[in-house]
Amino acid sequence: MAQKKTSHRTAEEKAATQAKRDARRARTERARAEAEERRKAQKRKEQLTRYGLIAGVLALVVGGYFLITSLGSDKPDTAPAGASGNYGLVVGDADAPKEIVVYEDFLCPFCGQLEQTVGDQLDAAVEAGEVNVEYRPLPFLERISDYSPESANAFAVVLDESGPEVAKAFHDLLFDNQPSEDGPFPDEDQLVEWAVEAGATEADVRPGIEDMAFEGWVEAAGEAASKEGINSTPSVFVDGQKVEGETLADIAAAMVGSGS
Amino acid sequence: MKDWFGLVARLVTGGVWIVAGALKLPYPADSVRAVRAYDLLPEAVVPAVGHLLPVVEVVIGLCLVLGVMVRGMSVVSALLFVAFIIGISSAWARGLSIDCGCFGGGGEIPDAAAKYPGEIARDVGLLALSLWLVVRPRSRLALETVLFPRTTDTDPTTEDEGSLDGAEEDLAQDR
Repeated sequence: MAQKKTSHRTAEEKAATQAKRDARRARTERARAEAEERRKAQKRKEQLTRYGLIAGVLALVVGGYFLITSLGSDKPDTAPAGASGNYGLVVGDADAPKEIVVYEDFLCPFCGQLEQTVGDQLDAAVEAGEVNVEYRPLPFLERISDYSPESANAFAVVLDESGPEVAKAFHDLLFDNQPSEDGPFPDEDQLVEWAVEAGATEADVRPGIEDMAFEGWVEAAGEAASKEGINSTPSVFVDGQKVEGETLADIAAAMVGSGS
Repeated sequence: MKDWFGLVARLVTGGVWIVAGALKLPYPADSVRAVRAYDLLPEAVVPAVGHLLPVVEVVIGLCLVLGVMVRGMSVVSALLFVAFIIGISSAWARGLSIDCGCFGGGGEIPDAAAKYPGEIARDVGLLALSLWLVVRPRSRLALETVLFPRTTDTDPTTEDEGSLDGAEEDLAQDR
């Protein structure tokens, strides 16, 4: 009897265990499904973050690129009156037997030394009709100071407003008073002062110097020179031939040497 | 330990990229001239490369320092260093005397040949760090670890995994 009762209880227990087992199984399935769901959601979220990051980086690169490319492209590169078609100022007889082209930066110390060395002789040779010289100012040292593009712009303004002779005098003054590459650098007022000293009228040149009227032209000059393979200043060409001198004396000799 | 080294690699490489790019950003024309001075790329792509390079450098640097998309950025970083090493070696071999333009500047300079070995050595070092990060992008203090936690790491899902394991144990007992 006791035996039977026990077995009866066991049957009940069995049923209960079965029910519990089913409930557990259902719970497990549910938990598994939920976990799977959460994992998927997590994965979707991560995927979204990943795409977002990639999109963000691409937007930064593309946006930055277009910003940089468009910077300055709106500046007109109108040439100053009296300038050559090659972003320069030609001084002297166009039919002179010897033609010299000088790429220079008003801030470049070596350019200044070259000017001091050959300037007077070159002027005399120009005067005598033996040679013509084209000065092509460049803003190559803009990274050192804004004085580089500012002085080149001032040169263009003076050329435009006051003509080649005043511009040449201004050019010489800029080199006579050349600042060190370490500064301090002359400001706009100083540039205007030198322009007036060279023979310009202050009212004519001040606006252009202050507003960087020929900034676009100066930049285009740098770009054009770079495309021609000019990587440094001064670069001197005599009758179309680049002077490959290592020292100042070599370059000076080629410019005002025995050939003239 | 390796994770800490990864952090150092990220900060050094990323820091160099940020500085190099930021110095060039304000002077796009300068950057274009520096690229042109190598005389390696066709003129048609020189301006685009000159304009794009500083932006890409800053973006790579930021991503590495922050620690996002470390592997991808390190691949690009390594490729760029390979390109720079080739460029500088080629300029050296051709007898060009140019500033590498690595941190702005560029163009012809006197006695550049004396600087080439140091520049190449620096780029090789940074290339090695970049390659390390390609192989092992996970490192300490990376934004990436927050954004993409490993499933086995401590994160909200761990608890669920635990309950799931518990349920499975129950099931095993029943059987």
